[in-house]
Amino acid sequence: MFFRMIKGVLIRQRKKMLMIAVTVALGVSLATAVLNVMLDVGDKVNQELKAYGANINVIPRGAFLLNDLYGIDMENGISDKYLDESQIGNIKTIFWSFNIVDFTPYLELSGKANNEKVKIVGTWFNYELKLETGEFRTGMKNLKTWWQVSGAWLEDSDADAVMVGSIYASRNGIKTGDKITLNVADAVREFTVKGVFDSGSSEDEYVYLPLSVVQEMAGLAGKVSRIEVSALTTPDNELALKAAQDIKSLSIKEYETWYCTAYVSSISYQIEEVITDAVAKPIRQIAESEGAILDKTQLLMLLITVLSLAGAAVGITNLVTASVMERSQEIGLLKAVGAKDSAVILLIFTEILITSTVGGIIGYFVGLGFAQIIGQTVFSSAIAIKAMVIPIIAVSVFVITLIGSIPSIKMLLSLKPAEVLHGR
Amino acid sequence: MEGKKFKKYKMYLKMVTSSLLRRRSRMIVALLAIIIGATILSGMITVYYDIPRQMGSEMRSYGANLVLIPSGEGMTADDVNEAKKYFPTSGEVVGIAAYRYSTGKINEQPFMVAGTEFDAVKKVSPFWHVTGSYPSASGEILIGQDVAELLHVLTGDIVTLYGNAGDSSIYSADLRISGIVKTGGTEEGFIYMTLSDLEGLIGGTGKIDAAECSIVATASEIDTAAAEIAARVPAVSAYPVKKVTSSEQAVLSKLTSLVLLVTIVVLILTMICVSTTMMAVVAERRREIGLKKAIGASNRNIIVEFLGENIFLGGLGGAFGILFGFLFAQAVSMNVFSRGITFQPLLIPVTLAASVVITVAACLLPVRNAAEVDPAIVLRGE
Repeated sequence: MFFRMIKGVLIRQRKKMLMIAVTVALGVSLATAVLNVMLDVGDKVNQELKAYGANINVIPRGAFLLNDLYGIDMENGISDKYLDESQIGNIKTIFWSFNIVDFTPYLELSGKANNEKVKIVGTWFNYELKLETGEFRTGMKNLKTWWQVSGAWLEDSDADAVMVGSIYASRNGIKTGDKITLNVADAVREFTVKGVFDSGSSEDEYVYLPLSVVQEMAGLAGKVSRIEVSALTTPDNELALKAAQDIKSLSIKEYETWYCTAYVSSISYQIEEVITDAVAKPIRQIAESEGAILDKTQLLMLLITVLSLAGAAVGITNLVTASVMERSQEIGLLKAVGAKDSAVILLIFTEILITSTVGGIIGYFVGLGFAQIIGQTVFSSAIAIKAMVIPIIAVSVFVITLIGSIPSIKMLLSLKPAEVLHGR
Repeated sequence: MEGKKFKKYKMYLKMVTSSLLRRRSRMIVALLAIIIGATILSGMITVYYDIPRQMGSEMRSYGANLVLIPSGEGMTADDVNEAKKYFPTSGEVVGIAAYRYSTGKINEQPFMVAGTEFDAVKKVSPFWHVTGSYPSASGEILIGQDVAELLHVLTGDIVTLYGNAGDSSIYSADLRISGIVKTGGTEEGFIYMTLSDLEGLIGGTGKIDAAECSIVATASEIDTAAAEIAARVPAVSAYPVKKVTSSEQAVLSKLTSLVLLVTIVVLILTMICVSTTMMAVVAERRREIGLKKAIGASNRNIIVEFLGENIFLGGLGGAFGILFGFLFAQAVSMNVFSRGITFQPLLIPVTLAASVVITVAACLLPVRNAAEVDPAIVLRGE
């Protein structure tokens, strides 16, 4: 009998039930979309922040970055200590290798271009690195997204082409296609300028070549002077700060937590482990700001999510209240023919729960669609679907519909059947 | 004639107000729905408008986005102040750190010595990590991590720095290390002291070798300012720090479009929610509509009456929504950015209009349906 009544309501009151289902579906799709986006926004924004370039600098132990800030001092940047090029691939073997987005080695030397002193840098542009786990493309093109290049980027296979900085180019009147003569160590060779880049920093005064060409000219085969690494990191917390002060001060458990979290300090530490005689330094300007911005973005999304969820909850509650209230006649009749309060409550609950479950399931999938639309439009990549969203939403829909029906049920129970049936 | 018209309005007002008052609980349900909708509308839009500004300030933790260096002759503090006039007017200037560079030696090792004002450095380069403290008194220096390792010195040690004073004589000074700075960048190879200390050693008051400026502004604003400064202030060349400005632009535009999309999705869904609630509230009044028609009301009368009711509801809900929305945006801003939010006056008419339109639109459909039906059928009970 109970089921027949439920079935009857669901079929006869199709329209009203449909409305509840639609509202629940809307609320749930909203919740699904914002929750999924919120849970994934950290990773996505972290990926975007890679536009700021490398956040770890790997240099040989004992070498110092006595580099020029504004091209004031040219001599000190040159050191006689080098890292081994063959070990660079090891960076992709560390615990957090999947968090390593890009890296590129540099061999920086002072030389002469057209008999004028200049800093010459050999590097990877779009290098295909062969690893045991497969191939990995990396280099300047990915790392220096803000460089504006007129002409073209160098290829790693270009043996007789260079890229020059815009300041150097304008000072010496050099254009794309011109020929310049470079002296490195004792070697003298003629190159064609393939591109002029504008980086908006001191690099604009340098001349860039493929790494292998510089190594060959300088007689430093297989050597690099530093490596820039761009890694996805977790914002620093107290543990990371403690580790940064002194790793030995950590207890074994703290050490394990630290080592297995993608802090910039632990990734640096792991890089030092795989490259002989290297010091990996977090570039604080990038690493620290990333953390701050990530935290802010996540908090912002969290608050927006809370507002949306509250909105959805009140929407559902409201509609449930409104639709239960208008059934006073029917409830009056039920009571008149002898239904107990508990039977009435059970009936209404079951109806609403069935309806909202159907609405919720539809809403969940619609919400996933919304999340993907947001992901594709904003980040041009899919939003990861988190399974934990399902129980969160299921429980909240259940609780919300229950709470939503309480005031109306209380009202219905206080109805006098005679009054209601008479039509007030 | 006049009196009759007046009476008609009075009756209309009475019907609208008593309908609102007598059906209190249902009206509260409807009002609540509208308030929520309007709150989300005004709150989200305020947050959306304020994001670029707030995040822009946040992005300043990446450090200077405009660097001023002398073009030829040499630059003074006055030139920097002159250049400051051409900074983007919309953006707040977070800080300007002026640097003077020189070379000096400690233990026969050559180092770059920089003179600057540390209060400005703290603002422009918040990422500097100093163990110990920034120099606070004359005779104190801050050294880079690389320098400290090379010299094997610690905070609190005294070192002797000597170098060329301006007039080819040699200066020598005992300086106390107040702190060691870690940045992961070139700064670690420098020795920092206050500008006045450095001027005391090498002479040449007022000269500046570089000024790092941190300004809350977009990449194009910075570019314009740099061009303007280059044209108007002959002693100064200005360079936007591309790495910072263009990356900031990229990240900010992503964030803004994220919030925009989320806002749109939330708004659409909330509006539909509000509409369905309104429809449910109106639909249950079919009997009332039937009764009114039976005693002679025209369809137009009924629609006008509902219109009045809903304009009132929409307006009231919208007003509350503006208030709550602003409170929400304020709470978000305080929590996330620890800064107040600017109120957008334009939101008042927009929110009010939107909530009235949505409420009215949501009720018109069911009311029209109800009004079309023969009163006899409705009154009989379906």
